Amino acid sequence: MPFSKFLANYHESPNTWDEMCANREIRAHYKLFLESLAKASMVDLAQKDDLAKKLFMSQGITFTVYSDGEGIEKIFPFDIIPRIITGAEWTHIEAGIKQRLRALNLFLKDIYHEQAIVKDKVIPATMIHSCPYFLKEMVGVDVPFDIYTHISGIDLIRDSDGSFYALEDNLRTPSGVSYMLENRNMTYRIFPGLLPKNNVRSVKDYPDLLLKNLLALSSRQVSNPTVVLLTPGIFNSAYFEHTTLARLMGVELVEGRDLVVHDFKVYMKTTAGLKQVDVIYRRVDDEFLDPLVFNPSSMLGVSGLYYAYRKGNVAIINAPGNGVADDKAVYTFVPAMIKYYLNEEPILKTVPTYYMDNTDHFDHVFSQIRKMVIKKTNGSGGYGMLMGHASTDQEIADYKLEVQKDPRQFIAQPMIQLSSVPCFIDGKIQPRHVDLRPFALYGPSGIEIVPGGLTRVALKEGSLVVNSSQGGGSKDTWVLS
Amino acid sequence: MLSRVADSVFWMARYLERTDNLLRLLRTDYIAAQDELLDYDWQLLIDTFGDDTPEKKVMVSSYREALNHLVLHRQHEYSIFTNIVRVRENARSVQDYITKELWQSLNDFFHTIRNPETKNLILHNDPVTALDILLRESIIFYGTVDTTMSRGEGYTFLNLGKYIERCLQTLDILEFKRKQMANAETEAVHWKYLLYALSGYEFHTKAYKNSLQDKEVIHQVLYNKQFPHSVIYSLGQMDRYFQRLVDVSQPEHFAEIERIIREMIESINTYQKKESVAAIDQLIPDLRLQFANLNQRLSTLYFGNS
Repeated sequence: MPFSKFLANYHESPNTWDEMCANREIRAHYKLFLESLAKASMVDLAQKDDLAKKLFMSQGITFTVYSDGEGIEKIFPFDIIPRIITGAEWTHIEAGIKQRLRALNLFLKDIYHEQAIVKDKVIPATMIHSCPYFLKEMVGVDVPFDIYTHISGIDLIRDSDGSFYALEDNLRTPSGVSYMLENRNMTYRIFPGLLPKNNVRSVKDYPDLLLKNLLALSSRQVSNPTVVLLTPGIFNSAYFEHTTLARLMGVELVEGRDLVVHDFKVYMKTTAGLKQVDVIYRRVDDEFLDPLVFNPSSMLGVSGLYYAYRKGNVAIINAPGNGVADDKAVYTFVPAMIKYYLNEEPILKTVPTYYMDNTDHFDHVFSQIRKMVIKKTNGSGGYGMLMGHASTDQEIADYKLEVQKDPRQFIAQPMIQLSSVPCFIDGKIQPRHVDLRPFALYGPSGIEIVPGGLTRVALKEGSLVVNSSQGGGSKDTWVLS
Repeated sequence: MLSRVADSVFWMARYLERTDNLLRLLRTDYIAAQDELLDYDWQLLIDTFGDDTPEKKVMVSSYREALNHLVLHRQHEYSIFTNIVRVRENARSVQDYITKELWQSLNDFFHTIRNPETKNLILHNDPVTALDILLRESIIFYGTVDTTMSRGEGYTFLNLGKYIERCLQTLDILEFKRKQMANAETEAVHWKYLLYALSGYEFHTKAYKNSLQDKEVIHQVLYNKQFPHSVIYSLGQMDRYFQRLVDVSQPEHFAEIERIIREMIESINTYQKKESVAAIDQLIPDLRLQFANLNQRLSTLYFGNS
């Protein structure tokens, strides 16, 4: 039994879809990978784990936590065992994400123009107007090629029967794609030869596809449009990602103070004077983009940027105002959007969602609170959530008071038992829960998704929280061809 | 290129060159104090290369304390540690612009100085080993620049920063050695250690062939065009690299900086004709003033600072 050593201490959680095994049998798509590990001892794996940590540290792929002027370097925890997805699963995921994005993009165009979906009473008007991310400044603004959601990271999870659910649509400034690329670079260092042997599809094309799309969005008739990546700066936790993408695409990484607007055109300050900018891939949130229009105290944006954008002199990626489409309360209407705009059945499932401003929903949720998770509609990073099964009575009571103060800001969903995959933790192979964030690029020539994504892992035993700020890590994600 | 990026690349190079020069000086003087200059004045070293603002003045009672202060102290504005943090912070803000290899070499430098073993060597063991390890990191930096960086504008600003700083460091170290001489019975030995600190002793024995004479040491340190730490060499390199910006600069900006650098070269040539040791006591403050002006104009015309 070649697999016995991997299964001896591997205890699948009940009611969970384990991606490696089912009823103590290894699934076919994990066999080749596990066979190549058959000769490896746990000590070998520990050495690989060590090598990965050293590589991350020496490459400076770190978060910096500042104290006393000196940065403390922390690496984003990385698990060495890749997560493997079959070609058939990927085809399903890809079709599902493309469908969702087409609908969401049409929704954004509609909501900032005719609002037909509201007039036809598919989505209540209050749902839109109570959303803090609905930008009235975007109403009536025509965006290049009618594309809003150029870059998105849709979070997928798998329920106990293995079916895929879309959990969140990140349509503003989704991050993590650099870890998708770096995790892959790590794999060929720690498992030489395994990528070709397993026919793993490459994710290397991502920067090229992104650049191709960005260049295509320039409105100026020049052969070589200027594309920049706008970062909040070195203290931003995703700064590493910003530098990686700028480097891989060969575009300038700019901060707000590098840009200036004259006569509704955007320029960057160079050693040779001002140079016009055509396309801005911004990693700065909407509210900080332009202090003259949005948050007046913003130091990260550029005064006058919004009007340059409205005049069509510069493209901003992603479009401002996308937050109205990835709001957690609007989320539940995505299947309805798919039917309304595309006349199709949704491919990916949606988690049932309860609104805390609906008293029936409110009562239902708190009557079954142990099976529920309550989230803020505009929250992220796993902050401000209540996980019913893991909370004390006091925590629940406190949270309930919080919800009652402003119920529109909260939604609840039944707890989904995320699927589990093998991880190498404390010298043993153990199951841990994961999600999956593939990255989709929507350009003038269509939607493209590189075969892979960021698998986030809840490193604590039994935990369902995968956010890096809450003890989550990541691993390489293999899509087999 | 972006003005901010040019500024950061320039300062990254300056802090790195400062680190390299200070490490060489510390290595030389530590060895000297072990073997020849037995009454070495560590306080003078701290006063010269440390923070000279009265409220931050530090008193040291041993060589290890002095080395610890100048190399490892994390809150000390002028320590090697702080320099490397600054090099790295500047590099971080232009991480997309410099090569990945260069970023990794600086990152390794940072991890080396934070390594507890470095501290252990300096505080309890052989400090020369620690200084050698750190010096090797700076050599790796220069090698990585040479083999991986494109010869574009960034490379020019990097070299401009490097040679401006090198020239200033040569002046600082020369002045420091003059102070040591002033307190010493014999000058000769300090001229020798000046050459060691500038990695120029072997050069001197080969090029000048005499027993050590102060005029010849001064000639090497200030006016010898073959000596890579001399003032004239650094000024020549500044001029050479700056000329590469002619096609990418605004003409009036280029002309102004070019004029400042050329005037500096002229003034050093004028000093050379005076041929006196005493002249260097005027030359040092005179050149520093010109450097201050150059920096200020570069900052305004090329780095977009007002």
